[in-house]
Amino acid sequence: MSAAATTHDDHHAHGGDHAHDHHEPSFLYKYIFSTDHKVIGVQYGIAGLLFLLFGFFLMMVMRWTIAYPGQPMPGLELVASLFGEWGTYQLEKWAPGGVVSPDLYNMFGAMHGTIMVFMGIVPLGFAAFGNFVMPLQIGAIDMAFPKLNAWSFWLFFIGGAMMMLSFFLPTGAAQTGWTNYSPLATTTHYIVKNTFMTGQTWWLLAMVFVISSSLLGSVNFITTLINLRAKGLTFMRLPFFCWAMLVTSFLLLLAFPPLEVAAILQVVDRVFGSSVFLPTGLVAGTNHFDISGGGNPLLYQHLFWFLAHPEVYVLILPAFAIISDIIPVNARRPLWGHKLMIYAALTLGFLSFIVWAHHMYLTGMGTMMSTYFQITTVMISVPSVILLTCLMISLWGGSIRFNSQMLFASAFLPMFGIGGLTGLPLAFAFIDLHLHDTYYVIGHFHYVVAPGTIFALFAGVYHWFPKITGRYMNDTLGKLHFWPSLIFMNVIFGPMLFQGIAGFHRRWYDGGAMAFKNTTQDYLWSNELISFGAWGLALAQIFFIVNVWISIKGGKKITSDNPWDATTLEWATPTPPPHGNFTFEPVVYRGPYEYNPPGTGREFIPSWEEPAGTPAPAPTEAKSHH
Amino acid sequence: MEIPYTVTARPDTGLWNAKIGVWLFLASEVMLFGGLFSSYIFLRLGADYHWPVHVLNVPWGFINTLVLIGSSVTVVMAWASLKMRKWGAYKVYMAITIACALAFLWIKKNEYTDKVHHIAVKTKDGTIIEGHFPDHGKHWINFDNVTSIKLSTRESDPEYFLESCTTPSPKFTTPAGKTVSLDDAGLASIREEAGKEPSIDLKAATPLTFKVNNSPFPPFNTIRSYNDSMLSFKDGTVINGKLTDYKMTLQVTRVDVRDVADRSKSQAWTLMGAGWKEAFEHHEHQKLEHAKEHNPEADPYKNPDFVRHALTMEVHTAKPDPSHHAPEGVGELLQSFKDTLFSHAEHNGPVITLDPKKDIAFWSNWLPKWNTYFAIYFTLTGLHGLHVLAGAIVLTWFLVVDTKRFKNDPEHLANRVETGGLFWHFVDLVWIFLFPLLYLL
Amino acid sequence: MGHDNSHDDVSSHVKTYLKIGVTLIVFTVITVAISFIDFGGNNNMIVGMAVATFKASLVCLIFMHLNHERPLIYKVLVFTVVLAIVLFTLFISAHGDPLKDEGFEAPAVPVKTATAHH
Ligand code: HEM
Ligand SMILES: [Cu+2]
Repeated sequence: MSAAATTHDDHHAHGGDHAHDHHEPSFLYKYIFSTDHKVIGVQYGIAGLLFLLFGFFLMMVMRWTIAYPGQPMPGLELVASLFGEWGTYQLEKWAPGGVVSPDLYNMFGAMHGTIMVFMGIVPLGFAAFGNFVMPLQIGAIDMAFPKLNAWSFWLFFIGGAMMMLSFFLPTGAAQTGWTNYSPLATTTHYIVKNTFMTGQTWWLLAMVFVISSSLLGSVNFITTLINLRAKGLTFMRLPFFCWAMLVTSFLLLLAFPPLEVAAILQVVDRVFGSSVFLPTGLVAGTNHFDISGGGNPLLYQHLFWFLAHPEVYVLILPAFAIISDIIPVNARRPLWGHKLMIYAALTLGFLSFIVWAHHMYLTGMGTMMSTYFQITTVMISVPSVILLTCLMISLWGGSIRFNSQMLFASAFLPMFGIGGLTGLPLAFAFIDLHLHDTYYVIGHFHYVVAPGTIFALFAGVYHWFPKITGRYMNDTLGKLHFWPSLIFMNVIFGPMLFQGIAGFHRRWYDGGAMAFKNTTQDYLWSNELISFGAWGLALAQIFFIVNVWISIKGGKKITSDNPWDATTLEWATPTPPPHGNFTFEPVVYRGPYEYNPPGTGREFIPSWEEPAGTPAPAPTEAKSHH
Repeated sequence: MEIPYTVTARPDTGLWNAKIGVWLFLASEVMLFGGLFSSYIFLRLGADYHWPVHVLNVPWGFINTLVLIGSSVTVVMAWASLKMRKWGAYKVYMAITIACALAFLWIKKNEYTDKVHHIAVKTKDGTIIEGHFPDHGKHWINFDNVTSIKLSTRESDPEYFLESCTTPSPKFTTPAGKTVSLDDAGLASIREEAGKEPSIDLKAATPLTFKVNNSPFPPFNTIRSYNDSMLSFKDGTVINGKLTDYKMTLQVTRVDVRDVADRSKSQAWTLMGAGWKEAFEHHEHQKLEHAKEHNPEADPYKNPDFVRHALTMEVHTAKPDPSHHAPEGVGELLQSFKDTLFSHAEHNGPVITLDPKKDIAFWSNWLPKWNTYFAIYFTLTGLHGLHVLAGAIVLTWFLVVDTKRFKNDPEHLANRVETGGLFWHFVDLVWIFLFPLLYLL
Repeated sequence: MGHDNSHDDVSSHVKTYLKIGVTLIVFTVITVAISFIDFGGNNNMIVGMAVATFKASLVCLIFMHLNHERPLIYKVLVFTVVLAIVLFTLFISAHGDPLKDEGFEAPAVPVKTATAHH
């Protein structure tokens, strides 16, 4: 059987026409309040990409003042004037004369981090790709709770909208970093007429919405993966993509609640004047707060990092998920160590819950605790290395197609590698003493999330775009997107590692040019270099935006439902998949990565293809009643 | 298009979808309350004050525990009735469950109201005096002779200023010499004159008087800071004048001298009178005798439980009574339970007058602001209360709206009630821990 | 729960539910009563939590049917409970193990309000 044999027309005979036995919903319910997992996935995807772009815009403003502190930013006045009187008023308030003020820098910095992490990467990697691909890959007609799925998206939407609207409050948006540490976060925008209507409080309330959204989402993902797998799709036959989504769901499910606690308690502190996170005798400047004291700022940090370390894996596991699908397809080789990767991901998931205080070495933690967290942190690097190594070995002996998605996927490997390896020194308390809160840390985790996760997300877009739209993206534009992106990412984040070692601290709005000149003067040029890198990266993204835009309507049409000759179930559906997804009842007969299986003489065998002469599906892990 | 396994279990996992879903949801709830309980532990271990024990209304807490246990039994009975297809019994059990939920919330509301009216004051020497404002009213700061004002122009409307100025229709002169009043037209011309400045200096034509709300509840408090001659509002407006006659009257219910270096000199006695000092000394002496009887060797002042009983004193009458003592033994304990449930004995303690500037280090009602114990108490019980409310809504839905399903698809309704019930049991389970942690230990 | 579908099965449970309800009430009375007795040190906390845990396990096992549930639910719950315990223990140990260094603990400028305590 050739690849062409997998177009949907061949399968009409197999089962009833599930997709067409219901009436058409109205436009509003089909595209806006849809409960179809694919529409919701695309909604998440669009929202996530827009947030990513917006977070990047914030960063470009920040990069200007870092490189040229005290100089008016070109174009800022022009943008403000577009908003008339209101715009000039805001400009005077936040950037007098076009010079970005420290407050504005703080605000953009905090919101860059928050938006990138909670509104950009997680909604893209987990919610968008997970929603679109996972149910297809397990042969389900939808998520287990479609309405709940729509609720997840709309809760996320409300949270995101609140984050955006908080920029327009009189206080502006939150200014105290994405970590929002107390006591600073509690006492910022504190003595105001109405503590509810402040950026700091809206940040917390928006987070409660976003958290609730992820909780509903993860309940849905796990239930779907457990109960809606197709016949014959045993857990060990699940593609690694689905396993990574399963582990990610558990991280979201169990790590987010403590952050919700932190957010709620901080709201209580801010609005009701309590002192859960405020110590006795707190004085800020000349302000003596009318508070009881007796609370503990470290409690906030514990609750925050209990989420925020697992969150790192929420950012990275979906990237591994995507790469683990793209590499086998384009190397035409099975994924090396599928089982090993599954166990590594499970170990990673568990360990990620018990390493959090490596972000708190400098808070006066005792030697015993510090030793414990150093040990677990070093341990967790092992499963990460296993995942990366398995992906690299999968390339061995392949006949690789270097299309756009494969370029991004292959660049992911060394980029993530740099990110991971630069993290190792930070695991040790006495090295972290020097590097904590410097640009070394910024460089390290951006290697993980920017040329790491974002590259994986780009790869995913190029890979599944034909399934979503029925058209390919343009490969030349893809390559024009890839090469400058790769170069500029390294121009941006490479020098940061050196800056950090030289003593550049993060969250300096002047890039170190004024107060800390003694330390920084020899390396100030690197600030400019990095900023030019950021603007170059921005230009490179134009190729991507144009590519997506023109390919939706004008891209080359696909001729098969399985354009990449892949083996997993999402390619067995019509294109684009209708409501209900499959035109036949999918049954899985083999593992997910049958590329060039030895002894068969076949280039690839789709997992849903009935083996000749053995009609019975493989047994599921059914258990008898007890 | 039907999602499979909504009613019947998938053979290999043995579970229907919602069952998996609700258990996963409960797993995340375990972590939510786990986070809250570990915050409780963290705060309690790190408290630099005496962690309150037995200060909440134990009898009402006890009754609420019984209410929730009862509802846990009825909700599982409702499910069992559905399984046996006994429609009538199901309705009765479910109705009782919902009634219990509402009773729980009603009791909780009363407890909260009590806390709002309970005022606690920490005097400068560390004595804690508790009670309430005799008139149940707001708490005011009065200013007199106010002639110069710095009016904030950032807010759309100088609400605090207008609310607290008691002089009718005041008139002002602006720096440019215009005469304005604070109506819409006046405000517009003030704004125009101020331009980009965040505030403008006004002179009052006649001296004004102010009565400013000094609520301890931050959302209602309007004051940023004040001293003898000026008061600055949270919106940035500042008035200059004379603070007059600022006093706080408090009807005392309880005195706590654990943190006073020399308790015979506690400020409580200067405020309440020497008779109460005598009553206290008698009370402490009695406790000491009692402790010595049980264990003559040990130093009772090393035992926090003893210190808590001996160095704090309930005040139930307006007159000091040296023979008064706290309940001991089962009979008296039950009597005191009855008192706290049904009477308001605390409404006749002595009334004292404090000078906030001279006497008070910190004060608040029994709300999150008073200390971290009340902060975590309100957060925990508030979130738990929201869960009770959510549960009540869901169960009411099953009882009232979902009735058709009983005829068409009773097994599905039973499944739904089972998931709702699982949630309900979890809510009960959380309370089983909350009750001892907050009320008893 | 497909496996105890039969009506007889359910009706046989009804009595158990009532019994458990009564047991829970009895233990609530016990919790309140013993909280007024001083066991010294942390013992009140330990006893109180032990009773609460006992009550909570009755609710879990009988009312929530965890005495006969599917293996998958157990797997999820065991994982969750382990994490919750990790949360508690690490929080407590982090609290109990501050960095000790000469002069580290005493603030350079004594905080006024703190002097009144202990
Ligand atoms: C690709 C373009 C990006 C650039 C050029 C960039 C640049 C930067 C820089 C220079 C900082 C340090 C700001 C400071 O310390 O004052 C920063 C902070 C941060 N970035 Fe990015 N970033 C990018 C993408 C991302 C992505 C994809 C994420 C997603 C996880 C992310 C998350 C963060 C976080 C969490 C912080 C810390 C914010 C804080 O200090 O609270 N960034 N970024
Ligand atoms: Cu970490």
